[in-house]
Amino acid sequence: MNNEILFTTNNIGKVYGVNTVLQGINIEIRRGEVIGLIGENGAGKSTLLKIIAGVETPSTGTMEMNGKPFKPFSMIDANHQGVGMVFQEQSLISNLTVAQNIYLGREKDFSTAGLVNWGKMNAKAREVLDTMGLKDISPKAKIRDITFAMRQMVEITKVLDIVSETANDRALILLDEPTTVLSDSEMAVLFEKVRQMKERGNSVIFISHRLQEVLEITDRIYVFKDGHQTAEVKTEGADEYLLYEKMVGRETNGEYYVSGRQTVPTKDVVLEVENLSMFGSFKDVSFKLYKGEVLGLCGVEGSGKEDVCAVISGDMASTSGILKIGGKPVKFASPSDARKAGILSVPKDRRDEGIIGILSISENVSVSNYKRNAKYGLISNIRQDSNARKWVNELSIKCVGVSQRISNLSGGNAQKVIFARVLDSECPILILDHPTRGVDIGAKGDIYSLIRDITEKGFSVLLMGDTLDECLGVASRVIVMKDGLVCGEFDCPADNKPAQVDVVRLML
Amino acid sequence: MTMRNLSNILGQMAVPLTLATGLTFVLLIGRIDLSVEGVMGLVGSSIALLVLNSRNANDYGVLGVIIPIIVGLIFGLITGILHVKLRIATFIITYATGTIAAGIAVLLYHSQPATAKAQWIIDASQASFLNIPLITWIAILFFAVCCIILNYTAFGRAVYAIGDNEAAAKASGINVTKVTIQVFVLSSFAASLAGVLALIRLKLGQVSLGTDQMFPCITALVVGGTSLAGGKGGMLQTMVGTLIYMELLNFLTIIQVPADYKKAILGIIIIVAVALTLTRDRKTIAK
Repeated sequence: MNNEILFTTNNIGKVYGVNTVLQGINIEIRRGEVIGLIGENGAGKSTLLKIIAGVETPSTGTMEMNGKPFKPFSMIDANHQGVGMVFQEQSLISNLTVAQNIYLGREKDFSTAGLVNWGKMNAKAREVLDTMGLKDISPKAKIRDITFAMRQMVEITKVLDIVSETANDRALILLDEPTTVLSDSEMAVLFEKVRQMKERGNSVIFISHRLQEVLEITDRIYVFKDGHQTAEVKTEGADEYLLYEKMVGRETNGEYYVSGRQTVPTKDVVLEVENLSMFGSFKDVSFKLYKGEVLGLCGVEGSGKEDVCAVISGDMASTSGILKIGGKPVKFASPSDARKAGILSVPKDRRDEGIIGILSISENVSVSNYKRNAKYGLISNIRQDSNARKWVNELSIKCVGVSQRISNLSGGNAQKVIFARVLDSECPILILDHPTRGVDIGAKGDIYSLIRDITEKGFSVLLMGDTLDECLGVASRVIVMKDGLVCGEFDCPADNKPAQVDVVRLML
Repeated sequence: MTMRNLSNILGQMAVPLTLATGLTFVLLIGRIDLSVEGVMGLVGSSIALLVLNSRNANDYGVLGVIIPIIVGLIFGLITGILHVKLRIATFIITYATGTIAAGIAVLLYHSQPATAKAQWIIDASQASFLNIPLITWIAILFFAVCCIILNYTAFGRAVYAIGDNEAAAKASGINVTKVTIQVFVLSSFAASLAGVLALIRLKLGQVSLGTDQMFPCITALVVGGTSLAGGKGGMLQTMVGTLIYMELLNFLTIIQVPADYKKAILGIIIIVAVALTLTRDRKTIAK
């Protein structure tokens, strides 16, 4: 590492609609430096990488690479300027071979008169894979036939190869959680590669939830929180505890989460999960959900908590274990089965899975409960509308009228309509998957009050919070998951919330 | 099966094989091209009007074949551009352009199709090599060239990439718009060539040259194992599927199954073939 600056961002920010996801980011990367980015989910780390990689354009600010303005108009353009990104979701083509993927879009180098010489391409790919230490991967293997970890290595090989074509050891490689699917030995190979790139003068930005890895591989760490850059730490001399502290930051007071109205759960078990397992995702998860309780599920993305909820809501099948409602074992083939048994989920991806954009508010409210608004099998619009009006008043949904299209509402109001649907269904068990994601502060408060309202009425809630702070603030009890296993449980009474640092330590 | 019977099947195979070859690319990128019947009819009937024929005094020779083919290519180009620029689903845009092509053809010959009288067409229809008709050799040649295009060019890889994961293909620097348009041009070239071959075979230049040609080809592709959802399949599957289909058709004819029953049987075959080759998504039913 030397002191030559390779890359800087000046006041980079990103706004989606009304949501500011990134603000005032000023980072600086020297040649041959490995930078870590840490922070909770939604802190803006991935967004920053996407901006640097040319996938997203920044709303504010500028970037510089090698002292010259850097303004990529596409990912390919960024590649040509020496910046390459390895994605969390892989971008390989499954029906093509390893070699064809590495050189996809660059076949010209192996072509004569437009015909590709596959032998030549495979030989070159073999060479490149060998230098990456990937002797087990055949360039002729189809991507769909190799393991997920191998695919990840192929992806990294591809990006490295593209970037090193032009960057001449002045490349900037962006790794967004590359280690989540890798085994220890594969990780060692990856880190070895990162060190080699670094020695040759390339720089790397590395995002990981595993702090040991960040401490092992990086030279310097930037900490992100809620779209801001909150701290910069030199890796030398830092430890995990210091990083936890920097990540967690200040804690929000109880008033924000309406903790004063937090219910004290009864001892009636409404849902019981016994040794629930799903191959490849989570194992032996057991817990009880009590009547009137908000049970928070904490864990980083990939900890298995999403899949646990998907199984409970009937969207995925478990491989073993028992699910009991009111003491009776149940099995769901679909979300519709789960709804009949009294479980309804509010999905995270509101635009894709929650709202039915072209339908009106009243139709969106009654879509899960047509029967109650129908007579002789025909839906009564009058009933449907008056029902919707009731909810619009009760939840103070801001709209022109109940016949307004839901797609014209703001995020917070659309979310309230979905809550109305869920409440209208009278399912006693609700799964709330990031209920406040993409919702402005005011509407967040409304949603927290709403959760208090429904638990007072005896509904039980399984919550996956947008932030740990929210999860602890809203829930009366939390379960912590890590790598598919339950690794801790905390009581969260209104007057004595556990410290975030203690929970984070179990999560990572 | 007699030699004569085989020769007959091979003669009948020229048009379906040509169309199926072009449609392979379209299906591989996850699109469909319903315009091939119309384009085929337009090209075939305009050739009949431009070479020596029964209706007018035209005799443009080879040019009388080349011009209609160029028109066919333009149809493919327009279809492709409309699809990618206006983002109209191919199912509907190709149906529309195909209908326009068929309409133009009928207008051209004023409801009275021309019979091609050019000597070279008559010769070509009778020519054969190794007992296989010339038109079938042309179809096989086209098939072979397309094999090379699909398996040995960057364009061929791009076709598979788009069918498998369009977003990833785009991210890899593939010009998805351009490749998609090229695929439609290639498919309409195949349709034009099929029009030429059909005219050589039947000599009467009318729109019905193309009628009921496309769905049998789609059946053949699906039976061969090419996925309607894109990304899966290839030229080998196309050849196998076409041969199976032609054999089956021949078999049904030999055992004297009436035409309407034949259609019903073919319909059932499509359902079974699609059901067997489909990779099902967990959450949504394919549209």
